Amino acid sequence: MLTGMLSHSPPLGSFEIHLAETLNKAYKLLEKKKFDVALLDLNLDDSSGLQSLKKLNEKCPLLPIVINTGSYPDDLGLKAITSGAQDYLIKGKYKSYGLSKSLYYAVERKRSEQEIQTAYNKFKETQSQLIQAEKINTIGSIASGVAHEVKNPLATILYGVEFLSTKLGNTDDEKIQLTLKSIKEATNKANTIIRDLLDFSSLSILKKKPEDINEILLQATKLIVHQCEKKGIEIKTELDKNLREIKIDKNRIEQVIVDLFVNAIYAMEDGGELTIKTYAEKLSHKDYEVISKSLKGFKDKEMVTIVEIDDTGPGFSEEGLSKSFDPFFTTRRASGGVGLGLAIAKTIMQNHNAYISLKNREQGGAQARLIFKS
Amino acid sequence: MEKKKILVIDDEIGFTELVKLNLEATGNYVVKIENDGTKAFQTIQAFLPDLILLDIIMPNIEGPDVVNKMRNSNFKHIPIIFLTATVTKAEVEAQEGKIGGHEFLAKPSTVKELVDCIERHL
Repeated sequence: MLTGMLSHSPPLGSFEIHLAETLNKAYKLLEKKKFDVALLDLNLDDSSGLQSLKKLNEKCPLLPIVINTGSYPDDLGLKAITSGAQDYLIKGKYKSYGLSKSLYYAVERKRSEQEIQTAYNKFKETQSQLIQAEKINTIGSIASGVAHEVKNPLATILYGVEFLSTKLGNTDDEKIQLTLKSIKEATNKANTIIRDLLDFSSLSILKKKPEDINEILLQATKLIVHQCEKKGIEIKTELDKNLREIKIDKNRIEQVIVDLFVNAIYAMEDGGELTIKTYAEKLSHKDYEVISKSLKGFKDKEMVTIVEIDDTGPGFSEEGLSKSFDPFFTTRRASGGVGLGLAIAKTIMQNHNAYISLKNREQGGAQARLIFKS
Repeated sequence: MEKKKILVIDDEIGFTELVKLNLEATGNYVVKIENDGTKAFQTIQAFLPDLILLDIIMPNIEGPDVVNKMRNSNFKHIPIIFLTATVTKAEVEAQEGKIGGHEFLAKPSTVKELVDCIERHL
């Protein structure tokens, strides 16, 4: 009778009908073919009541479902609709027009639901990015103020220690020597933190010129060669000799590169390999989609210059992957890490309208990737 | 050898006292402190320094204002070194260490860096 109703229901158009007597048979059909809507009897042999609805919904979350069932307690209808059904029909209480209308409405409503969900997801993502950017801006302004205020007393302390060192420097008293040394070290550390904070807040002043990125990478390796030797880290380079010059602020990009080197070195306490690669290629569509979420100015498939820095360390933890760029996130707090290196690196890259990403390599270890417009 | 006269103009009292202590400890300098930037000009007239260490941001008057006053006076030949906490060493390097024709030294620096800088301008 149902089939009869549905095949004679102008003016709402016609339906192609597939019948499944049990929920399992329905699953098999759904695996083979795409359906626009399901008409579900709550009283099946292998499932009954709202359980059927929940199971079907779980299996196919995008499928609009209309309940079609014999009489059940009144509030079951409401429960069905709040459990994911688009409509609730009682057998014998509708004619063909009512049935087709319900099915069409179900499809439309589900489509609207999906659109709203997608828009909401996009909104949440944008909101989270804005909050992140705001955090960095706010930290920047606070940092600038604090740093300036603290620098003066720090300068006084440092000069004080230097003076005491000249007066007491020749003393045999070990305790005095030790005290002076401790104060000096602590003050220098505080100074580094302050300098990093100020650096972080003054990152928008860039002097961009055409530069050879390979040159900058080689210069940067000179700074870490000694550390690498000490730890048994081999430095490998695969630099494309035909790279075009890119317009960047040499000092700032060197800062980014050195920071990535330092992180790689920390990850390889017991030795390993640090590989530095550069090459030019067309921006893949996949990369373009990811990048254009946070940066304008890149075009799909345009030529880009890529720098990859690989290490053979243990790779990132899940927390690390998602929080590495957060200001003050560090895995090295115990040894004095402040957690601004990558946040600064990312800000520098953003100010260059260039992209930085981190990931774990399939073959183990981590990779930092920089993408510049060519 | 005659000791050179250095005038330090900065509102941070602790800092200026220690600059004086350190510079005089070298035996090569006589240092006068001026903590009130608005009195800078009078102090310069009275002390006649060979070189001035000047803070950029002070209450009531800014370093560059002092420089401007001096430019149109008999003291325009006195070398000035700006000592300041407002910028990082990176920014100092970016400006090539000069401001308004005078050199720039970021705070804090080591005493050696300070002395080297002074000697370059005396």
